[in-house]
Amino acid sequence: MTTDNVTGNEQVIFVTGGYDHTIKIWQAHTGVCQRTAQHTESQVNALDITPDKSVIAAAGYQHIRMYDLGSSNPNPVINYEGVSKNVTGLGFQEEGKWMYTGGEDCSARIWDLRSSSFQCQRIFQVSAPVNCVCLHPNQAELIVGDQSGVIHLWDLRSDHNEQLIPEAEASIQDIAIDADGTYMAAVNNKGHCYIWTLTGGVGEEPTRLNPRHKLLAHKRYALRCKFSPDSSLLVTTSADQTARVWKTADFSEVQVLQHEAKRWVWDAAFSADSQYIFTASSDGVARLWNVSTGAVEREYQGHQKAITALAFRDEVLPSR
Amino acid sequence: MALYDNQHWLLSHIRDSFISTDDTGMCEVVMLGEDLPKQFKTNGYLNCYPGMQDSDDEDLDTLAESYDIPMEMDFGHRQRSNTAQRLEKMDLERKQAAKVKHVKWEPNPGNISSAEQSELFQRKDFRKKEEKTNKRHSLLSEQLEKCPNLPQNAFTDYARFDGNAQVGILARKYRIFMCMLPKEQRAYPQQVVVIATAKVQEFIGLICFKYASEHPDHPLKEDITKYGLYITEDDGEVDWDFPCLDPRETISKFEFTTLGLVEMKPSDRARHNTIIPIEIQNEDDQAVKEKEQEEVAEDLAKMEGHTTAMEAPLYQLYRVYIINKVRAKTEIHLGISGEKIEIDPVLTGKGAGRFWNRQRAVSYHIDNIAWCELIENKGPKTTFTLVYTPHSNTLDAIIGSGGHHSLHQSASFKNHDFEADSATAEEIVRKINHILELRSSTSRKEYLAQRERKAARRKSFHLHR
Repeated sequence: MTTDNVTGNEQVIFVTGGYDHTIKIWQAHTGVCQRTAQHTESQVNALDITPDKSVIAAAGYQHIRMYDLGSSNPNPVINYEGVSKNVTGLGFQEEGKWMYTGGEDCSARIWDLRSSSFQCQRIFQVSAPVNCVCLHPNQAELIVGDQSGVIHLWDLRSDHNEQLIPEAEASIQDIAIDADGTYMAAVNNKGHCYIWTLTGGVGEEPTRLNPRHKLLAHKRYALRCKFSPDSSLLVTTSADQTARVWKTADFSEVQVLQHEAKRWVWDAAFSADSQYIFTASSDGVARLWNVSTGAVEREYQGHQKAITALAFRDEVLPSR
Repeated sequence: MALYDNQHWLLSHIRDSFISTDDTGMCEVVMLGEDLPKQFKTNGYLNCYPGMQDSDDEDLDTLAESYDIPMEMDFGHRQRSNTAQRLEKMDLERKQAAKVKHVKWEPNPGNISSAEQSELFQRKDFRKKEEKTNKRHSLLSEQLEKCPNLPQNAFTDYARFDGNAQVGILARKYRIFMCMLPKEQRAYPQQVVVIATAKVQEFIGLICFKYASEHPDHPLKEDITKYGLYITEDDGEVDWDFPCLDPRETISKFEFTTLGLVEMKPSDRARHNTIIPIEIQNEDDQAVKEKEQEEVAEDLAKMEGHTTAMEAPLYQLYRVYIINKVRAKTEIHLGISGEKIEIDPVLTGKGAGRFWNRQRAVSYHIDNIAWCELIENKGPKTTFTLVYTPHSNTLDAIIGSGGHHSLHQSASFKNHDFEADSATAEEIVRKINHILELRSSTSRKEYLAQRERKAARRKSFHLHR
């Protein structure tokens, strides 16, 4: 359909996946679906795009599947298996050396993606199903949130780990750390959002969490939290059918993103300049919002069922 | 039955039944590989026909296996069983899976040195920032700015019915001629793939979406209910003899692969538009209601007619006067049923014995009755006549061949005149005529023929005078 952004790294990639067992790749600025990939026998729990923008990774039931962005092959090219339950979260080390995942089998894993013979697979086991995994910007600490409400800090280099429980009997749904490594946010199934400021984490200095703020962000289940690339904003999504944008300076509410369809908002992502937010919703429609106006700029229609995951990669342009 | 003595037959029958009735296909997968009954038979474990020697080899062979799974009569078009479809799907999946590289989780394959581990998981100094300009700009923002007022496709709501973008959902492909386009553009059909469960209306929306996304300056109307899908020849000529496909129906119901998208004919719009009739109803509510009532009354009247016709053969007794040759009236019971008509004098004390108006009790078989009609209306009283043939005729008619018999039968019609109040008279005449219509006896045909002959001769027919 369009040839202007098929190859190369200088491109915008927006993908969504959900309960209809498909992954859709969109032309972000027009809302046109460019490609549909098959994700058989499972819903899509989480999506990410490799840092080199060559591969989409999708976490589903018992599998992590990778799809080649360069071709039009609707089937996965690599299938990672051996996980006994749902894989709930995934992401990549910034150079694409390894992938991290978390799953309902109560473990977080490191998958070595290098083609060398010295494979280094790591597993970190906890006592409850893992809902979310988040990599510290120092690329060496993995933050794991589980259903029993424990947040684990796993130091990948030393294997040392620490736990903290922000709220008793509240399942941790998602964790995010901003690009500057200044803040960490965690949302739980009560709709609460906890924010810490981070210190240390460089060199041999251990990362320390200092409680900063507690937000009563949503009335119901929170599902996702993410910081904007410029660290000025935080977005939380929820079963209360909204996504809310907060200012990190004082954690005041900046914008409520709510659409007429009023369905769960499962996932969200900021554009590289923090001006726009993508949301994925149970009504099968993904939306692009203008953060400053709160208006819907684009709608992405094509999924037959709820969209539960999205991934977005943008480019920062040299300032004009 | 002898078959049930045959262990081999029983075993193979059980096996075939499992295979043929199990829709999941698991039985076939498990059982198809090894034919146990056959193996047992060849190994001699099974007794095929106890007491039967191998002399009748031919017969034995035909019965040795259980009956074949019956096949549809139209050869070559046998519906593929669920099992076959499933097997094919599994095969396809296997082939696709072969192309996928599978990486199985291996917990710590070979202990890596701590040096290597610390190298791979080196801490990055994330606080060391490259010079950041205050105002950042992203590629997405630029792209959005480049098409700020992107001509919004008015039909995006229908994008999700696109069959091309779906996996694992039944879809159908159609060739669509867009007949509202200028001539040069509509020469070639659009190929549109739609999910099979979409309604025709939704399919129209999808066609518009497809076209509009490729032709931003399209002439399509936003209100897609104005369009209809019509059956079209392969060269794009719309077949106007057929109405458009019902917009509310599922598209996969229609087998045509070539369709034309055209603005609906007014007649089709009237048929399919659900909004307009409601408006009419509001405006002409009274008229509609009246019309409805009329229709109901008509229906009721019709129904009543049916009922009398249906009840006609049931026995009913009427009290009427018979008028004899000397114009004397005698009260009688007229019993009418589907079988016969009986005339019985009502024996009242007074005048019952008078000879001139004595009426014998008679009974006529209904096949002897030829005609019944109203004659005249005198005030509240109405007279009617019943034309019949004398008794013996029934038998004659049956024995004698219809043709020559009718020749000398012509004169043999007789009649009785009756008098009753108008309502009763009408009812009786109606009842009898219903019965006569149902029976359509020889004498009735005769009578009608005779009447026609007489009418042809332009002679007035006054049989009752």
